Amino acid sequence: MHEKREMNDRPRNGAGDAPPPDKISLLSAALALPGLAATLLSTVAATLPALLSSAAQAEEPPDHSAIDLKYLYYHDYQPGEGRMRISAPSFHLLAPFADRWSVETAIVVDAISGASPLFHDTLSGASGLGVNDLRKAGDVKLTRYFDRGAVGMQFAYSTEHDYVSRALSVDARLSTPDNNTTFTAGAGHAEDDIDSVNLVARGQHKRTTDLLAGVTQVLTPNDIIQSNLTYSIGHGYYSDPYKAIDVRPDHRDQFAWLTRWNHYVDAVDGTLRLSARYYHDTFGIRALALLTEWVQPVASWTITPSLRYYTQGASDFYRDPPFPQGFRIGEPYSADQRLSAFGAITAGVKLAKSFAGGWRADFKAEYYEQRNDWHHLFGSDSKPLKPFKAQFYQVGLGKDF
Amino acid sequence: MASPAEVRIDAASEGAAQHAFGAIQREVERIETKYSRYRPDSVLSDINRNAGGDPVALDEETAALLDYAAACWSQSGGLFDITSGVLRSVWDFKRNRPPRPEEVDAVLARIGWQRVRRGARSSASPASIALEAGMEIDFGGIGKEYAADRAMAAAVDAGIRHGFVNLGGDIRVIGPQADGRPWRIGIVHPRDPERTIAHLELGEGGLATSGDYERFFEFEGRRYCHLLNPRTGWPVDGPQSVSVVAPLCTVAGSCATIAMLHGDGADAYLREQGFAYLLIDRDGKILQESLPR
Repeated sequence: MHEKREMNDRPRNGAGDAPPPDKISLLSAALALPGLAATLLSTVAATLPALLSSAAQAEEPPDHSAIDLKYLYYHDYQPGEGRMRISAPSFHLLAPFADRWSVETAIVVDAISGASPLFHDTLSGASGLGVNDLRKAGDVKLTRYFDRGAVGMQFAYSTEHDYVSRALSVDARLSTPDNNTTFTAGAGHAEDDIDSVNLVARGQHKRTTDLLAGVTQVLTPNDIIQSNLTYSIGHGYYSDPYKAIDVRPDHRDQFAWLTRWNHYVDAVDGTLRLSARYYHDTFGIRALALLTEWVQPVASWTITPSLRYYTQGASDFYRDPPFPQGFRIGEPYSADQRLSAFGAITAGVKLAKSFAGGWRADFKAEYYEQRNDWHHLFGSDSKPLKPFKAQFYQVGLGKDF
Repeated sequence: MASPAEVRIDAASEGAAQHAFGAIQREVERIETKYSRYRPDSVLSDINRNAGGDPVALDEETAALLDYAAACWSQSGGLFDITSGVLRSVWDFKRNRPPRPEEVDAVLARIGWQRVRRGARSSASPASIALEAGMEIDFGGIGKEYAADRAMAAAVDAGIRHGFVNLGGDIRVIGPQADGRPWRIGIVHPRDPERTIAHLELGEGGLATSGDYERFFEFEGRRYCHLLNPRTGWPVDGPQSVSVVAPLCTVAGSCATIAMLHGDGADAYLREQGFAYLLIDRDGKILQESLPR
């Protein structure tokens, strides 16, 4: 009651009484603002392709600590439609400790604005709220090294305003006495909770278990080849709650086979990296990704041009828009472009330079283009959508200790 | 801008879209640069720095914005007062406790649009403004909304007919989606800002929301929000949130802010204005008037 009196019984400010309200039209007053009178005359679901592949793992205990700061900028566009921009600062720390251990942690914050796949086209709220989606992700990995192998355990956590994901994984590596062959095995489990903003998906879950087996073989002093198989079993909510009609099976098994070959060329001190990845899942999607990179050191610089080709076939229940073409009550249905047949090419170049005192700097630029008529291998009849293009720029600064 | 911004347009070609985005961005940044209170080189900082000194000459756009601020002040009976920002010196919303009444009273002496001296433009001299020593102005509640309207004008100049501009929740629609459907706009839930409480559909015009949840703290069981009554120096106590649809975003924004400043009189004030609105009262009940949906 005391405070209530303060709020209402102090009707005064510096120069006496305020005026009684005047019945003027704010609209006619605002029309006097320059340019505003003239203004009275007068479905976008951009998707973020998963382009950022994870880095290769170190084979030996690191002999130094490293800190890396990176800033990623991304924007995409489709002719005649909206676009999405992402800027993502990230932080990465790697530190050995107690002789045979290392700890690694990474934190990334993505601020996404633009044509995000919201059920609503946009939001109105008090200032500072509404249109942005912030993804915060972090992970920590602890590794114990042995004479001929290593065991690692990783915990990852990621959250968006409508999504929380927790994942725990373990992996082990074991090398033969001659160190020419390394076997890898891993297992992981992820639990995701989904609470969509539009209340379509409330308290939904997804559980995924992954298994990995792989082998790395040194063929010659200049050639190394690696092959990994992963199998993942998932149950839960896979539909897109922000699409008006999107009904997907509640079960998805995924299989992937990745093979990489690195070839070092003495004459030019450069390395050719080739990789191929085949993917198949119970949604009926088959995909192939081919990547080629050339790593060329020049004095304190390293230049890495790269080219990636990706193609996928449509899922069994993908139907071309417009709804309700192909829709049957009780059967899975999606018009999500990510489930359609398409092909994509990514071309990029990375420049890295090392400086005195352990400093490193790098810059990476990538161009991505996706078209429905590039589904060369797993062709089906997805209706051609507009080509989708994106550019990425990433700058990084790091220091070794 | 300190707030997130979003622009969505349907354009005839990628080139046209890029061109329009550039024009919109330049216009928003121009206004931000000119009227930011955080930038020492802004027109606003120049006016504030000269408080107690000689009158500051005004360009046409600034003079027009001050005229509009004056209209808001008159229409609201002094509730909307662009000199009230100095209350921020005693209301620290990070400290989580209210200032002492005598601290607030001391600041009230530096508030009052009626004490601002303005010189009208004549053939001999430009328009001018003079603040008394210790006074400050800012364009909170007008600037971002004006920028949204101007950005829409820039888009139209660039040939765009379909899209919207959203500057931190202050929205100006350029035109409906290319297929003629209106844009679907969610209204943020004032007690759970990660969710929406309602939606409406807009094919033209402006929409702005003012709420008690932008900055606030709770102390001894009551909520203190950032919307301060310039006469008392204390936070308003009334609706949780007001959203207004008006032909211009500038009007929607000031109308929503003034409604909030009216406290429990918000609904009566909004009825007089004749614009569509959505009001969430202190108990969370939704009151609405002729909303497009």
